[in-house]
Amino acid sequence: MTTFLELLVNGISIGAVYALIALGFVIIFKATEVVNFAHASLLLVGGFIVAKTHESVGFWLALLLGLAGAAAVGALIEFAVIRRANVISHSILAIVTIGVDIVLTTELTRQIGTEVLALGDPWGSEVLHLGAVNIPLARIAALVTASLVIALFLLAFKYTNWGVAMRATAEDAETAALMGVRRGRVSMGAWAVAGALAALAALFMCIFPTPGLDRTVTATAMKAFPAAILGGLDSTTGALAGGLIIGVTESLVGGYQSELVFLGRGLGDVAPFLVMIIILLIRPAGLFGTRELARV
Amino acid sequence: MSDAYQPDGMDPSVPKLEVRDVTVRFAGLVALDAVGFTVEPGSVHAVIGPNGAGKSTCFNVLSGVYRATSGSVRFGDAELTALPPHRIAALGMARTFQNIALSPRLSVRDNLMLGRHRLTRAGFVSAGLRLPSARREAARHTERVEEIAAFVGLTPQLAMPVGLLPYGVQKRVELARALCMEPRLLMLDEPVAGMNGGERREMAELIIAVRESLGISILLVEHDMGMVMRLADAVTVLDFGRRIADGPPEAVQNDPEVIRAYLGATSETEEATP
Amino acid sequence: MSRSTILWSAALAAAALVIPFYLDASWLQDGLFAMAAAIGAIGLNLLTGATGQLSMGHAFFLAVGAFGYVYFASEPQEGGAHALGGLGLPTPLAAVLAVLLAGVAGGLFSPIAARLKGAYLGIATLALIFIGQFAMTNATPVTGGHNGRPVPPMELFGFVFADTPEAPLVIAGVPFGALERLWFLGAILLLGAGLFARGVLRGRPGRAMNTIRDHEIAAGVMGVPVSRYRAGVFVLSSMYGGLAGVLVALVFQQTVPDYFGLLLALAYLAMIIIGGLGSVAGAVIGAVFVSMLPRLLTRYSDALPLIVQPGQEGVGAAEAAQILYGLAVVVVVLFLPGGLLGLITQLRLRTGRPLPAAAPKHSLTPTPETRN
Repeated sequence: MTTFLELLVNGISIGAVYALIALGFVIIFKATEVVNFAHASLLLVGGFIVAKTHESVGFWLALLLGLAGAAAVGALIEFAVIRRANVISHSILAIVTIGVDIVLTTELTRQIGTEVLALGDPWGSEVLHLGAVNIPLARIAALVTASLVIALFLLAFKYTNWGVAMRATAEDAETAALMGVRRGRVSMGAWAVAGALAALAALFMCIFPTPGLDRTVTATAMKAFPAAILGGLDSTTGALAGGLIIGVTESLVGGYQSELVFLGRGLGDVAPFLVMIIILLIRPAGLFGTRELARV
Repeated sequence: MSDAYQPDGMDPSVPKLEVRDVTVRFAGLVALDAVGFTVEPGSVHAVIGPNGAGKSTCFNVLSGVYRATSGSVRFGDAELTALPPHRIAALGMARTFQNIALSPRLSVRDNLMLGRHRLTRAGFVSAGLRLPSARREAARHTERVEEIAAFVGLTPQLAMPVGLLPYGVQKRVELARALCMEPRLLMLDEPVAGMNGGERREMAELIIAVRESLGISILLVEHDMGMVMRLADAVTVLDFGRRIADGPPEAVQNDPEVIRAYLGATSETEEATP
Repeated sequence: MSRSTILWSAALAAAALVIPFYLDASWLQDGLFAMAAAIGAIGLNLLTGATGQLSMGHAFFLAVGAFGYVYFASEPQEGGAHALGGLGLPTPLAAVLAVLLAGVAGGLFSPIAARLKGAYLGIATLALIFIGQFAMTNATPVTGGHNGRPVPPMELFGFVFADTPEAPLVIAGVPFGALERLWFLGAILLLGAGLFARGVLRGRPGRAMNTIRDHEIAAGVMGVPVSRYRAGVFVLSSMYGGLAGVLVALVFQQTVPDYFGLLLALAYLAMIIIGGLGSVAGAVIGAVFVSMLPRLLTRYSDALPLIVQPGQEGVGAAEAAQILYGLAVVVVVLFLPGGLLGLITQLRLRTGRPLPAAAPKHSLTPTPETRN
């Protein structure tokens, strides 16, 4: 039972981190209708900046730099590529982000090489003991921070001018533009925010119990894609639910690996994708996604 | 498919289209409220109404793009409300789109050949291997497509990519593609929207010619009242999703409720160019 | 077929015939990989370019083809924990079955491939890569695990596509080893795959696919069963992937699970974008570009700035190639919407042809004989 509780808390914590990534993915989709396959590389940008700067400027400033850096790269992709790609098909816009992803990921993983970079976080490898349940402090920090950021984000999405502009654009871009919403600014903002969220997620993906930032982090970040799509690409609620489902699934399957070994090794890595496929078979638009109504 | 369009000698007749109590709701919003009308075989039937009256929704239900919440649409013996679009097409119902829905990079000929889809059989294997049957079929149908293109006045443009053609010509390609389906019922969604006077006249002549030479039923959604009055045998008027009038054009034109619905909505007769 | 097309085809055929007599083995090997890539890219272009359905899982179907062939063609080997299974079928039959198996795998995914569209399908197909890696590491009796397993050479009517030191084949003074022999097999497979895809694209299915891409609703209203078509094209493109996998296995002579990862799937998408979406020629051009790029960069690394020799600190040729084709994807989408093929056609289409005269109009009769 204690194992179960530990795994559950861990899963929720990881899930909250996936939710951060998925949330960024969803707001990019809502604002620009782009499925951003470069999302994992934004995460890598943020983590890389933190890893490279924390020794000279200290962790907190490094984190700030990481967030700002990833946000800037996100905004740059929107400004330099997405806005200029004058194509009708969203599949092609998705492929152009794949091009961006290949460039960023190749260069950054080359820079990282075979090293494992520490991020210099203050939580270290401390473990909190709650009765018989042991939970790493870093996981609790992840859960608390991610929950706070998500709550803040959803409030901003609902009540600030930026949030209203964003939702209006997602609803009907042309009308929003006529109402004075500056579309370029909205979509650039979405990319920047998504970049910052990804950088924050990078931090929590690369600290204890993970040894640090290495070249495999983008593969881990890939699991946020099923999180986003199983929740519904156009739903922020869906991103949260999807993140939690993926996090808990991964944690439980990984934790009970020895009992599940008859199913094969490495099941924890593939489980999120299996869950996604099962959910898509039942609900092709995802759990909270809306079936788009064709206008003809 | 037993309900496919029959060749000569079987049943080339044009059936009645009966729309009964069709209601469509989107997330609590009632787009169509128990609408009903009948398109008599071989007639031109117009559906008119101010913007947002539910005309396009009605078309989308008839062609299977939207699912009706309740009600029934019968074309001859077939009930359409439960069928997907391609099955409705197989019954011989063709439609055009208000906003052009062609493949811009394909040539006019290829766009028109798509209209032959339901009448042809070549699949991946026979097309991939260029089997003689597929080649013969393609040749036969290309010939008919060229006839239809000539009828609509598109012969010079047959080889051109649709995307390069002017708007008015693309509208005619839409009509030609629907004709290529050899329909028994032709549904035209604002065929002259965004056109200038000359183009409108040409399109109206074309519609009359279609009716005279093919004898099929035509269902028409149009804002241009002059054109509706000139072409239609019967008119159904929608307003806010409800049917407010139905009958011959002269009667409908003088119906007080119709006049009320159109008051203050006079600008609707000139739809903006998309 | 226009005159220039015939000339081009003749020139290409002549080049394909002559090349094995002049180029050394490593170039031939790269050329063969490019042919395999071209077959796979044609398949992906049917799906993504012509039908608008994004797939990030194409590498999975290459893996199915490659390992399927090896399993069907190999004799089972005893060896305790390292035992390898196999059916020991004749190799041509094994190749055909491997392609069919890839099609079946695509068919199993069709409930999703039929219902999701565009980029949504892209994310869902990501699952195939991860499921594939999982299956390949666990099904060691089939795949040989991490190190893979050797590939039995193809044998057609007693002719072996392998090095035969005991009975060397020498043509015009050139020893014909495995690669020289495979070269012709590859060229014939590519030709067949290309012609088949061209037939599909120019025929009734191609028009339906293009319309699904351009306007899904119009396709349905015109009588195209959209979901069934999406599933069908997915299966067809899987079979192309499977065939590419078989050829890769034959050329490599060893299949390794790691090769069939996400990077390979992304490389295929890069090929069709760079070459030109929706056409056979575009897929082939893109496949050659992306496959030959690392080779060219390695060959000329000493002459190129920024690229270092293997083993040195800095940007290696393989990484430089990846960055370059990533950039090429972005540049092509931004500035060359038709890809390299589009560029070539634009250069060739400098002369406009006059339009034929207008025909008389307004006379149409229903012709029952063409109605069905």
